[in-house]
Amino acid sequence: MRLIKRLLDTVTKPLPEHMGARLREAAQVDSGGYDPWGLHPETAERTLRSMRWVYEKYFRVRTFGIENVPTGRVMLVPNHSGQLPLDAMMVAMAMTFAADPPRIVRGMVERWVPSLPFISTLFNRCGSVTGDPRNCTALLERDQPILVFPEGVRGSGKTYWNRYTLQRFGTGFLRIALETKTPIVPIGVVGAEETYPAIYNFEWLAKLLAIPYVPITPTWPLLGPLGAIPLPVQIDIHFGEPILFEGDPDAPDHEIQAQVDEVQSKIQRLLDEGVAARKGLSMLKLLPGGRP
Amino acid sequence: MSRTILITGVSGSLARVVTELLSPGNKIVGVDVRPLPPGRPFEGEFHCVRYTQRKMTEIFRSHRPDVVIHLGRIRGTQVQSSSYRYNQNVLGTQNLLDLSLKHGAKRVVVMSTYHVYGAHQHNHVGITEDHPLRASQIFPQLADAVELDHTATSYLWRYRRLETVVLRPCNIVGPSLNNMISRLLRARAVPRLLGYDPMMQMLHERDAARAICLAVDSERWGIYNVAGEGAVPWSKAIEYAGARAAPIPHFMAYPLVGSLSALNLLFPKHLMDYFRYPTVISDKAFRDDFGYSPQYDAVDTLRSVGASAAWHA
Repeated sequence: MRLIKRLLDTVTKPLPEHMGARLREAAQVDSGGYDPWGLHPETAERTLRSMRWVYEKYFRVRTFGIENVPTGRVMLVPNHSGQLPLDAMMVAMAMTFAADPPRIVRGMVERWVPSLPFISTLFNRCGSVTGDPRNCTALLERDQPILVFPEGVRGSGKTYWNRYTLQRFGTGFLRIALETKTPIVPIGVVGAEETYPAIYNFEWLAKLLAIPYVPITPTWPLLGPLGAIPLPVQIDIHFGEPILFEGDPDAPDHEIQAQVDEVQSKIQRLLDEGVAARKGLSMLKLLPGGRP
Repeated sequence: MSRTILITGVSGSLARVVTELLSPGNKIVGVDVRPLPPGRPFEGEFHCVRYTQRKMTEIFRSHRPDVVIHLGRIRGTQVQSSSYRYNQNVLGTQNLLDLSLKHGAKRVVVMSTYHVYGAHQHNHVGITEDHPLRASQIFPQLADAVELDHTATSYLWRYRRLETVVLRPCNIVGPSLNNMISRLLRARAVPRLLGYDPMMQMLHERDAARAICLAVDSERWGIYNVAGEGAVPWSKAIEYAGARAAPIPHFMAYPLVGSLSALNLLFPKHLMDYFRYPTVISDKAFRDDFGYSPQYDAVDTLRSVGASAAWHA
């Protein structure tokens, strides 16, 4: 462990000390260095740092409007795509490396994740928590930045033909935002939708294996493990202006839905504008389906 | 004001700390199914008795305790039959509560455990007292602990003249404790599940004893979680206790612990999941209602346990 840590510190530069200190302070850890959910800012910072080349060199991530993210409690709501949660990772890294002050985002993960060895522990140390509304509310009350994908697996599991088309949003996130008076920042992640261009989803196999989806991409499972390498698409993250909703968190669904639609249309606009603004014509753009 | 306090499970190591705090100014009557450990000083009267026996009634008749502290839950081991545990924990608790009602006890403090919530992968952090007691569904071996808790809470609601406090503490550890978790932390090498590292709360024995005293002295009643300050992952807990972690893959650990616990070694198999999934409770209600604040944080607590390990000396 110690060796890995030392190796990492020589390969990738640690954050400047004052930024690291702000990161730890915002995380509100106990004397043991952890928060009750298991976040360990040092591990989180080190993990994100070890992936920095993926962020900077592989996906060449650019952020737009990151200054829109308010300090204090906030709910980050991006579009979800790309089979594996690379988009979540890139948003988390943007918030650590490009935001001022740097923040560790608290991702809401699927409820089956805690059963996975190693991954569950690493996710916890890096700030992710089980996607339970009570976790979400409690973290917002501690002024943590929450990262939530209201599309869930409907978004991440979609095929390539549906790229940049938002899937149905749940309403839970908006009720929590109303209850805790949390501003919502809509985010359009452009590029992650093309990292794993899924052609087909084996729904019956997914059901059999009790996992959310089993995608087929041009390289997966054809090339085996190599096929799991994402395509090096440039990723642009567009942060919208925060929206602070008011209203009754216990209003019936059709009333909440109007506000959810507003968030959804904001994200869709960020996506449409973001896709249109991309320079060059990637080969993938020529494929049918999707928006623009 | 001198009170007569009946303490069950008095041969246990936590009861020793509690008795030390309560014996000045109070008359202590201690009962346990086990004899007192040899050489243990005990200021008060001691009876070795099963909580379901007729002799228990006689103790209530002759002492008429004002307060009953029920620390006598029998912890599960694989060698004890489940019917023995059921009899002692469920029927025994019911008998104690009935006798308390009949003989005019004013308050009862029942020590339950956070285990009743169950270690489950869906657990959120900060479990409050109204959370369902899932343990009996996940681990049928813990059914007696859950039913003990249910018995106490049903008396709490039904018989208001008996002020009942049910405490659900997290892991209680300390230098003088001899419970499963303290023994585990005092070992040289402590098992942990490879790839899993749940957050754990540690309550120092002194804080636990103080919490019991607060429950005895207050006039409030209800069900309360009790935790220490902060939480640490199990691997860190082992490190702070000064031991070395021995990681075991979980698919091997279940049969291994199962066969060891059949020999009454290590800990019962059904407690394994508490080392796999977090069960982090919130004691906000106890802090608010009883003015409780722990004096030891998780790190101090664990260091104190480690320092008491025989192999350190």
